[in-house]
Amino acid sequence: MYKMERRGREKRGVASLAVVVAVVAVAVSVSALFAGCVEEAEETTTLRIGYQPSTHQTAAMLAAEKGWWEEDLARFGVGKVEMKEFPSGPPEMHAMLAGDLDFAYVGVAPPIAAIYEGLDAKIVAGVQTQGSAIVVRPELAAEYEAKGPQALKGKAIATFPPGSIQHTILSKWLLENGLDPEEDTEIKEMKPGDAATAIGVGTVDAVFLPSPTPTIIAAEGNGVVVEWSGSMWPDHACCCLVASGEMIREHPEVVKQIIRTHIRATEYEIEHPEEAAEIYAKRQGADPTTIKQSLEATDMHWIHDPHLEVKSGLEYASVIYDLNRERYEGKGIEVLGEEEIFDASFYDAVTATEEK
Amino acid sequence: MRLPREEKGLWLVPLVAVILLWEFSAVFVVKDPLKLPRFSAVVFSIYALRDVLIADTLVSLLHFGIGVGLAFAVALPLAIGMGWSRRVFKAVDPIVELLRPIPPLAWIPLAMIWFHLTHYAAGFIIFIGAFFPILIDSYTGFRDVPKVLVETGKVLGCIGDRKQIRFVALPYALPSVATGTRVGMGVGWMCVVAAEMFAVSDYGLGYRLFQKFYFLHQMDYVVAYMLVLGLVALCLDRLFRHFVEERLFRWKKGIVK
Repeated sequence: MYKMERRGREKRGVASLAVVVAVVAVAVSVSALFAGCVEEAEETTTLRIGYQPSTHQTAAMLAAEKGWWEEDLARFGVGKVEMKEFPSGPPEMHAMLAGDLDFAYVGVAPPIAAIYEGLDAKIVAGVQTQGSAIVVRPELAAEYEAKGPQALKGKAIATFPPGSIQHTILSKWLLENGLDPEEDTEIKEMKPGDAATAIGVGTVDAVFLPSPTPTIIAAEGNGVVVEWSGSMWPDHACCCLVASGEMIREHPEVVKQIIRTHIRATEYEIEHPEEAAEIYAKRQGADPTTIKQSLEATDMHWIHDPHLEVKSGLEYASVIYDLNRERYEGKGIEVLGEEEIFDASFYDAVTATEEK
Repeated sequence: MRLPREEKGLWLVPLVAVILLWEFSAVFVVKDPLKLPRFSAVVFSIYALRDVLIADTLVSLLHFGIGVGLAFAVALPLAIGMGWSRRVFKAVDPIVELLRPIPPLAWIPLAMIWFHLTHYAAGFIIFIGAFFPILIDSYTGFRDVPKVLVETGKVLGCIGDRKQIRFVALPYALPSVATGTRVGMGVGWMCVVAAEMFAVSDYGLGYRLFQKFYFLHQMDYVVAYMLVLGLVALCLDRLFRHFVEERLFRWKKGIVK
């Protein structure tokens, strides 16, 4: 009896020892994991640029296809530029939060949403304005023609997730037209490919997406483009170029060169839209004719001046704040101002020297 | 199951240790709420989210109920057939083994087109996850009925497949069916997040975790919902064990312990 009890106690002793060992092992590996993240010295030999499969960001793909990134950045010791593709802005900004991107072509809204949550990055150049469109199912086109936005009442509309440009513009525009986005419509958050499938099989009645998806859907006979975003919110900023805080503070010359190359690519695509469309189509496996049509049909403007995006950027900042007011107020976060979102000094320096 | 007094609360020690370790590493080691939100912040988030949390949990349970309910309803008859008749087994097994390794996630594009953006689309993904564990465990139970029991049944007047299945095989296989269902429920719950990733509803634990919190980088909310996902599954499992294993299988007690 006594023996058994002792054995029991020993067993329990062994068990608690095992627990302690396991806990310590986990603790050590967790701290090693995070310590590893911190210690890994960031070498600028490889730059990582995020982008999305949209004609809005053709400049990023054009510079990559032509080898301009490596060519222009070689003198700063950059050996390789990795282009990382994302389906939409929020996951792209999540990767940037995790420290996996140095620069990002992205809508203006996602970095703002991420800066609210502590992202160390700023918008350093503009990429393009306008260029998204509402596409409705073919059978709904006549109704939209007659009734305008009211035709969307009670309809399911697919767009990008909250915090994206499209979600922000669509919500604001619906509200301005007397429709409550939550009550009067069913907004379905999707990736562009999913949304195109969804409108194709009639799962949703309409989509609001950036180029070239609207033109692709129309070309497949699955919808009619009824509204370009320039008429919903004139000159609204769309994509921008974001640089990580580390790049801005520690490698300002690289930031300047990225902006110079971005200007080079932007001016080239404006002058050679045909070639730009072909490069985009080749890279994305799309039909070049549809992409050319999309570039002709869209109301998008490729730009590089960040100043053109400040006004709508600040408006996005307050829309996103309203969306999460309870959370942000609880954490003592205030509405972001221009200096917290934009840093145009690099762009101004680059363009000032070029003008001389 | 009555535990000796000194073993009661044994689970508390590692749990408290893990929580303390989490809080400690978040505050003093990681120091970045994005990489590791504090435990206390996560608990506060659960409180702050209480309004949507209940609706989300109920909708997720609806998806889960559709998926697991259907999986059970389809898997059980098929399992009886496969376990009882070698011919059915030989005919169906290749199809089952071909479909079984396809991950539930891979079915999402088809689910979207077949069921549109409805609760059934999510239920279908969960169905795929839950179906095979229930099927495999159940038919194994029916297949392994000892011949001696069948023969004894025959001697006692249990003649014909229907009677033998009802009075001999089913009682014998029930524990395997229960194990399969328990495993299937676990896998099904894991599929809830994936099933709700594609805008099937405006509520749901997986929907909010992915479409809202993740996209707005609200990591404390993300972790809060992860914890809730774990807690709900824990409750489901405990309830299942309580009602099925403790009540239905009271007769099993004493066989091993």
